[in-house]
Amino acid sequence: MANPVTNLRNTAEEFKAMSPKDKRRAVIDNILNNALYILMLIFVIYTAAMRPNFLSLGSLANLVTQVAAYLPMALGIGGCIVLTGTDLSAGRVMGLTAALSGVLLQKTDFVNKMFQNLPEVNTFWILATMLIVIALGALIGLVNGFFVAKFSLHPFIVTLSTQLITYGIILWFFSLNGNNGQPISGLSDAYKEFVGGTMFRLGNTAVPRYVAYAVVLTALMWFIWNKTTFGKNMFAVGSNAEAAKVSGVNVFLTTMLVHTLAGAMYGYAGFIEGVRSGSVAPNAGLNAECDAIAACVIGGVSFVGGTGKISGIVMGVCVLRLIFVALTMLGVDSSSLYIIKGAIILCACALDMRKYLAKK
Amino acid sequence: MDNQTPEKPKLRGLYRNVNISVKVLDLVILACVAVIVLAVFFGQGSGYTVTFDSRGGSDVAPVTAQYGELLDMPQPPQREGYVFTGWYRDSACMEPWDFAADTLQADMTLYAGWNPAQDEG
Repeated sequence: MANPVTNLRNTAEEFKAMSPKDKRRAVIDNILNNALYILMLIFVIYTAAMRPNFLSLGSLANLVTQVAAYLPMALGIGGCIVLTGTDLSAGRVMGLTAALSGVLLQKTDFVNKMFQNLPEVNTFWILATMLIVIALGALIGLVNGFFVAKFSLHPFIVTLSTQLITYGIILWFFSLNGNNGQPISGLSDAYKEFVGGTMFRLGNTAVPRYVAYAVVLTALMWFIWNKTTFGKNMFAVGSNAEAAKVSGVNVFLTTMLVHTLAGAMYGYAGFIEGVRSGSVAPNAGLNAECDAIAACVIGGVSFVGGTGKISGIVMGVCVLRLIFVALTMLGVDSSSLYIIKGAIILCACALDMRKYLAKK
Repeated sequence: MDNQTPEKPKLRGLYRNVNISVKVLDLVILACVAVIVLAVFFGQGSGYTVTFDSRGGSDVAPVTAQYGELLDMPQPPQREGYVFTGWYRDSACMEPWDFAADTLQADMTLYAGWNPAQDEG
């Protein structure tokens, strides 16, 4: 990589050498290509002006916490997008695994405990539960991956159906043992401490432990994407499956593994979500995949396939969360939030296409 | 990079069959930005509403406050034969709301906790 300062100087010289008409076009191009970042900046400035406590350590802690919570799903779904696919089942898988974590880790003496004969909640059982829910997520991912890889079905079809099937299982699960669809509450203190225990405080706001877990997870995913044969195969299949096949890449196995890994990530996200929501309701995780997909596209994991970086996903999640922290502080109502989310996704895709079309 | 600069840039992957010009894309981007700005402008409410579910006790009026603010403790509700134990985040009354430390994050409902009154003597 070239020195960024030299790069910048070269760009400035190139810009000076342009004709006035080209100059204007270059400026407009730059503004449009960075529209979402500029918009974010405007929101931040506007929010800071309207709500002075937006620029506090507390809201930084809030932002970091939210990024840590939304990152795992985006990291998982990123792989599916690299394969020019998508995963619509992510949110529901997270809901199911959150419910399962909650049920397995309820307080021993809780009156409405769903299953009575569970082991006592200690660190070992918490870790075991985490592995169980990750395995469950991976299993659903494996089913997705199998149908996508074996029959070359579009992931849209496969994951839409697993999304609905998973929701059915969630509803069935919530009606077990006379629970009657009630949210799962009474989570054990050890579980809450393990996931959401305070690491340190920024201002008056606690930074929970899962922020540290998210850092570890990001490092792990970076390693998988960049340093393993599997990661390289994933990009090869994403940019051109035929060519990858000819050069000896096992397309079937790679596709299966990408979806399985994504499923495992949703499982982990569910394990965190159980604590975050306090009590798990049947509609937990609804539409969560939209946020994750939007974050990936904003971060440059393109739908053209075969391109994307972990750092981009982290950036995308940060941008999206910063926008939503600002909007929440402004008190924008939830109906408008949905409109804004939709517009952000469309805008991010248009920007993504523009990058490829406007290239000369 | 492995692709040898094609004559006309073509979209791959999920955008494979998309037929759109840069000009139209620019319009789409601008329209999206306009929608977002308008939605923020019109969606900005007067704050968040906290509803109090007194669960059989006397009614407590909802209050409105801004994000990140502490709530003022409302007048405790009354209920025949019960003692009020405080406000809780969940209807099972497991998670108490701490009026001195907990700040408002979204629209929400707080539930009254009740213990049966002890018959003294």
